[in-house]
Amino acid sequence: MTAVVEVSGLTRTFGSLAAVNDATFRVEQNQIYGLLGRNGAGKTTLMQLLTGQQFASAGSIRVFGENPVENAAVLQSTCFIKESQKYPDDFQPRHVFKSAAWFFPNWDADFAAQLAIEFRVPLKRKMKKLSRGQVSAVGVIVGLASRAPLTFFDEPYLGLDAVARQLFYDRLLEDFAEHPRSIILSTHLIDEVSNLLEHVLVIDEGRIIIDAPADDLRGSATNVVGSATAVDAFVGSRPVLHRDGIGGLASVTIGALTPTERAAARTAGLELSPVSLQQLIIRTTTEKETEQSA
Amino acid sequence: MSAVATRSHNRVLSVVKLHFTNPWTTITFPWIVMLTIIALTVLVWMLVLANIPDPADRAGAREGFGYSGSSGFIFVYMIVVAVQSINTMFPFAQGYGVTRRNFALGTAAYFVILSVFYSVGLTILSIIEDATGGWGVGGSLFSVAYFGETPAQRLFVFFAILILFFFAGSAIAAVYVRWKGIGITTFFIAFGFLLVGAGALATLVEGWDEIGAWFAAAGLLGSFAWSFVISALAAIGGYAVLRRATPKN
Repeated sequence: MTAVVEVSGLTRTFGSLAAVNDATFRVEQNQIYGLLGRNGAGKTTLMQLLTGQQFASAGSIRVFGENPVENAAVLQSTCFIKESQKYPDDFQPRHVFKSAAWFFPNWDADFAAQLAIEFRVPLKRKMKKLSRGQVSAVGVIVGLASRAPLTFFDEPYLGLDAVARQLFYDRLLEDFAEHPRSIILSTHLIDEVSNLLEHVLVIDEGRIIIDAPADDLRGSATNVVGSATAVDAFVGSRPVLHRDGIGGLASVTIGALTPTERAAARTAGLELSPVSLQQLIIRTTTEKETEQSA
Repeated sequence: MSAVATRSHNRVLSVVKLHFTNPWTTITFPWIVMLTIIALTVLVWMLVLANIPDPADRAGAREGFGYSGSSGFIFVYMIVVAVQSINTMFPFAQGYGVTRRNFALGTAAYFVILSVFYSVGLTILSIIEDATGGWGVGGSLFSVAYFGETPAQRLFVFFAILILFFFAGSAIAAVYVRWKGIGITTFFIAFGFLLVGAGALATLVEGWDEIGAWFAAAGLLGSFAWSFVISALAAIGGYAVLRRATPKN
């Protein structure tokens, strides 16, 4: 497989804060990546580093094999409309779409026009006067219609209603099937996008704590529910990701189980349920605090 | 590499076009305001003259018509255009994958194009003003003495002022984009100290006469020619600041 992004030992500090801390990962060509993490985890900083908007404090970044900073050849193959993207004061959505054509070599104006109708974006109203959701829709349309070989979506759906979000997921998958490209989707609505993602990167406090194919992750944890004694007996010394208990009942999240172990659990009268990607990530990223407060 | 888009665009030209995407703010609106200012000023002059019956007094009033600063509107407005072209366009262009270098080159070209456009426009207005005997009432908006005596001189002075305002305005905006409010405050405090310090120095060494003599020797055109040095420094300084700037929210 070809890597479009190769990052090694990447660190970006602001004073004493390491917004990105010793990150090492690859992004394979033509896959949809989820960049997941809590607010302030370092998602936007990481994407800004990959698009040459931020400068690394340490480590190396290769995008299409080259350093992206001030690299026109690399940058014209990327599209990164931030969640908080500023638009020129006097711009209307039609100005955004018109000018996008001059910067994205693969820009599809017809596709953008069709998306504008579907997302109900008013073309002739100032960007400043659009609702939060409409501004997000403009960013989504630019991201989709740019067909940039490396496209970033940073919290693309802020303010978008459920219908518009579904429309985004549908159009993304359809267009991705026809025009494969590398997509990095940063979000904290994890369950909604979990079926879209082929690979998951989880960043927490600047560190990449999970870097795995989405399918592997989905099967990597199990909830064990039953009477506290039975659960404890079954879990034994296995590492526990999370534990809830009410009265004599307990629900414990542990790692993947083999078919034999699953059978044993059922014999012991325990219920097994899959852990959603969102739950898994919540448990992984709050583990530390739980330990500290315990 | 094959993954990199093959169709290449001239990114500098694209930045120039980006600045002109919505011509309303930078082309249409300023001229509407400018023409309105001309109309209103001439109307006021006519009212003044209509209310002075004595021809001798009228001559005195006409003398006052020779020093209108209304044309200065364009210059002040263009500072705002310069600031906005950095403050909101830079973060936007970064989202489009434009390098800082290409953004700076395209924006500089845009400033030069606008300066030519407006200095030619103002010069044409000054020619009309001369040809109509000061809009029929002997008034001066554009052929004011401090803009030069001939249309060619005025073209040069208008152009020099516009270039200076564009690049100085954009350099200050670059400071804001990179360091936000704290940067702007620091900049103006430092700049204030520099001006006061230079003034104090000139007073201490009793150099004001020499400074006056220098301007007199340079003449109007010579003095404005020197403004290109300041403009060039502002352009270089602005780019140096922008080169390490990151668009923030």
